[in-house]
Amino acid sequence: MAVPILKQEDVLIAQVQAILSDDDLNQLKDDLSNRIGRARSRGVIIDVTALDVLDSFATRTIRGIAYTAKLRGANTVVVGIQPDVAFGMVQLGLSLEGVETALDLEEGLAFLRNAANSRGPRVR
Amino acid sequence: MTVSDRQRSLQSSMHDMGLTEEAIERRKRIVGLEPADLGRIAAVKDVVARGAEEFMATFFEFLSKLDEARPLVTSHGLLDRARQLKKAHLAAMVQGEYGTRYVEQRLELAQLYARAGLEMLVFLGAFHHLLRAIGSAIMKQFERSPMEGFENFMSLQKVAFFDIGIIVDVLVMERERTIRQQEEAIRELSTPVLQVRDRMLLLPIIGVIDTHRARLITESLLRAIRANRAKVVVMDVTGVATIDSKVANHLLQTVTAARLMGALVIVTGLSSEVAQSLVALGIELSKINTVGDLQGGLEEAERVLGYRLLRNGDALPPPTMTEN
Repeated sequence: MAVPILKQEDVLIAQVQAILSDDDLNQLKDDLSNRIGRARSRGVIIDVTALDVLDSFATRTIRGIAYTAKLRGANTVVVGIQPDVAFGMVQLGLSLEGVETALDLEEGLAFLRNAANSRGPRVR
Repeated sequence: MTVSDRQRSLQSSMHDMGLTEEAIERRKRIVGLEPADLGRIAAVKDVVARGAEEFMATFFEFLSKLDEARPLVTSHGLLDRARQLKKAHLAAMVQGEYGTRYVEQRLELAQLYARAGLEMLVFLGAFHHLLRAIGSAIMKQFERSPMEGFENFMSLQKVAFFDIGIIVDVLVMERERTIRQQEEAIRELSTPVLQVRDRMLLLPIIGVIDTHRARLITESLLRAIRANRAKVVVMDVTGVATIDSKVANHLLQTVTAARLMGALVIVTGLSSEVAQSLVALGIELSKINTVGDLQGGLEEAERVLGYRLLRNGDALPPPTMTEN
């Protein structure tokens, strides 16, 4: 199942709805990378609220997305990791190092707004 | 407690102890109780039934002489019930039926002993006296053929040991249950997650951290982070006497898990001994934000959240550039 990507001003929001296969994850990576360029986005939010598990491949791909987005000029925030998922991840030694995290969508947007403000206004 | 209540609680105890039909059969096999014994037990049925009153008196007389058994013999309610059950026991012991019903009766008596705080060695001493009294009565009956008397008594003794097995298990289980309840109470007391300010939590950790407790701490912290929408957590380990590599690893996991939920963890209260031993052990904690004491940690957390503390009358400092 492909992940829907919404655009809200200069932020792209990928709303993960169900458990993703490895192909879906790779597809998401390509889609986001392209959309960042086309939409000239400054931020990406990956919302994983609906997921009850994040395995090592998903973690690695998300990290890959974040680094790619960074190179394309956008900050990435992963939001909505559930308590059980977070606990499971640390048990497996997965930590999403180098990727920003936030409690939920609202927090993620607030973070990106702050990051944008500290960079100064954007000239359109 | 009504009769049906008692019956229900006995059945649930049977279930808790795993005393199914198969388990009872296994217990019989272990003490060597087999169909051939039933005939020999039947042969001493009359002797035991006739002396039941006297044997029971022996048992309780022995107990009444011991200080350790005082709670049982001084409580009339318990003692009367115990006498009643003991008499029923002596009758049932020679009935030849050692199924679920018989085990239930043993369980009821054992739970009564546990309530009275009867120690195992006291019970065993009294039971030994009882068996000796029964033994000598049987030997007297079979004066002419002592070998047969001995065989019969040994068969009865298998039943006695079957009973002891159950009673000892109950006494041990009751003790373990007390310990479990206490552990539970300590655990619940010792992992509070407190909200200090909006979006800021305080997690004071006191005592020994083992794997199980670390898990509980992490779980309750993660739940609190979501419930309070926390952004910063101050974890104070002043009350943790020693931190070895295992504990450090647990703390690291807690910090990482909190970060995955978007919360920053500040660890405070690492004492000089703890810090030195962590360095000596070569444990890498550079990924953790540490501040010397709890006060410093709270101040740092306030700074992260953008709070500024002013005393009444202080001039308002100009806002810093980084804030919007």
